[in-house]
Amino acid sequence: MDGSQTQAKESRAIAASLSAASVRFGDFTALSDITLDIEAGDFYTILGPSGCGKSTMLRLVSDLVPPASGTVEIFGKSTEAARLAREFAFVFQDATLLPWRSALENVELPLEIGRKRGIKTPKGDRTPSELLELVGLKRRENALPHELSGGMRQRVAIARALVCQPKLLLMDEPFGALDEMTRDRLNLQLLDIWKETGTTILFVTHSIPEAVFLGQKVLMLKANPGRVKEVVQVNLPFPREIALRETPKFNKYCSYLRKLLEEC
Amino acid sequence: MSTSDTVPTEKVSQQGLSEQSRVRLRNIAIPVGAALALLLIWQFGVRIFEIPIYIAPAPTDIVSVFKTDFPLLMLNFWPTFMESLAGFFIGNLTAVLIAVAFVHSRLVERAFFPIAVFINTIPILAIAPILVLIFGPGMTAKVVIAALICFFPTLVNMVRGLQSVSPQVLELARILSASKSEVFWKIRLPSSLPFLFSALKIAATTCVIGAIVGEWIGANVGLGALIIESTFNFRAPLLYATVFMSSGLSVLLFAGVSIAEKVTIRW
Repeated sequence: MDGSQTQAKESRAIAASLSAASVRFGDFTALSDITLDIEAGDFYTILGPSGCGKSTMLRLVSDLVPPASGTVEIFGKSTEAARLAREFAFVFQDATLLPWRSALENVELPLEIGRKRGIKTPKGDRTPSELLELVGLKRRENALPHELSGGMRQRVAIARALVCQPKLLLMDEPFGALDEMTRDRLNLQLLDIWKETGTTILFVTHSIPEAVFLGQKVLMLKANPGRVKEVVQVNLPFPREIALRETPKFNKYCSYLRKLLEEC
Repeated sequence: MSTSDTVPTEKVSQQGLSEQSRVRLRNIAIPVGAALALLLIWQFGVRIFEIPIYIAPAPTDIVSVFKTDFPLLMLNFWPTFMESLAGFFIGNLTAVLIAVAFVHSRLVERAFFPIAVFINTIPILAIAPILVLIFGPGMTAKVVIAALICFFPTLVNMVRGLQSVSPQVLELARILSASKSEVFWKIRLPSSLPFLFSALKIAATTCVIGAIVGEWIGANVGLGALIIESTFNFRAPLLYATVFMSSGLSVLLFAGVSIAEKVTIRW
């Protein structure tokens, strides 16, 4: 590792860099020839028809599936090195909390794992308890997952993802299973968290309005095989409010993306 | 299907009981009443039809045996209790360890699971004499039979329990770079506990069956030996009392497992 620790201050650092990366499962090509640089601090949302490899792309970046060809780098390191250094964290569609652990103990899980083997468990600025406060669950610290609502569980999962202060946050339809009201609230909360932590976010969704509302950039993938269709820059100012969705500009982005999606 | 009588209210009736505790009382009273009614039918049936006591004793005859022969019953209770308990621990512990080995290595599972199935297909009554021949008339044979009868359900449940972790949780573990032993101790083992406890509840009652069957084949003490002895001596009240002791033992072990489950599994 040649001095990669010192690049924290670089404003234009590349969080994730894919070059000609492909993923194959047997004969099936899930992703083909993806070349993309994601700058640190960016909020990318990923859209595309089902089966286009949105989730696979997150799994490629997070070292869950290996590239069949091409390379993927996270902050200049291999995905494995980045995983061992806890550079990124993952939020799944299901909260994937351990049901026998309280909310707080679930958030603490990443700090317990790998400690003895010298895997870095970066001490974040915030304690697990403060992270639960950040996601508005301070008073439910000791609740078990089954005592929490779906939205609360997902917030615990986000707090758990933030506990090692990841520089890259990968989110795979994290709010897909939630009702609309909860989803709106969590969208706003996520934007706050993003602003406060300065982390890079890759956010997979199948909702066009959600993609436009959250993203600085919308990455549109097309299917068979999964490739980049277009990266759409969303020029809507931050901080964003729910009312933004009523504006003509917002709707123009939505209809453009919908058209793009139909072409895929 | 009226719902009004099950909805708890704060209203206090004339007897000074709230509606809620009256409902609770009735929920207890109905099964207890039914059991009492059956006992009464049994008692009067035996008396009215003048059935000889050595064929079917009346409940009062059994109660009086409990009074007069209580030391004898307890003398035979403890060996069976110890055999059941020892068999329970040995059988379940072995099953859990083998389940861990199965989950750890597909090769071990493929090699030994058919053997485990084969052992399970042998009726316990058929294998019991063989085990008594091997281990002699002492306690060991009974413990082995009790352990054997517990073994298979726990093995199957435990394997399922250890494999019950969702793929996404395993992906989470991979992203956290968790080692195999961390995945086991922090994720797989706790996930398996609900499965383990449902197996232990089965084992709590079957281990008593195993111990008693073992005692039938050859033993001087134990509830199984007492069952055989009182049958051949036409001491039906003692036989019935022994049977109640046996089921009491099962209930005791079952309750123990249930309490352990309540304490352990909060989710």
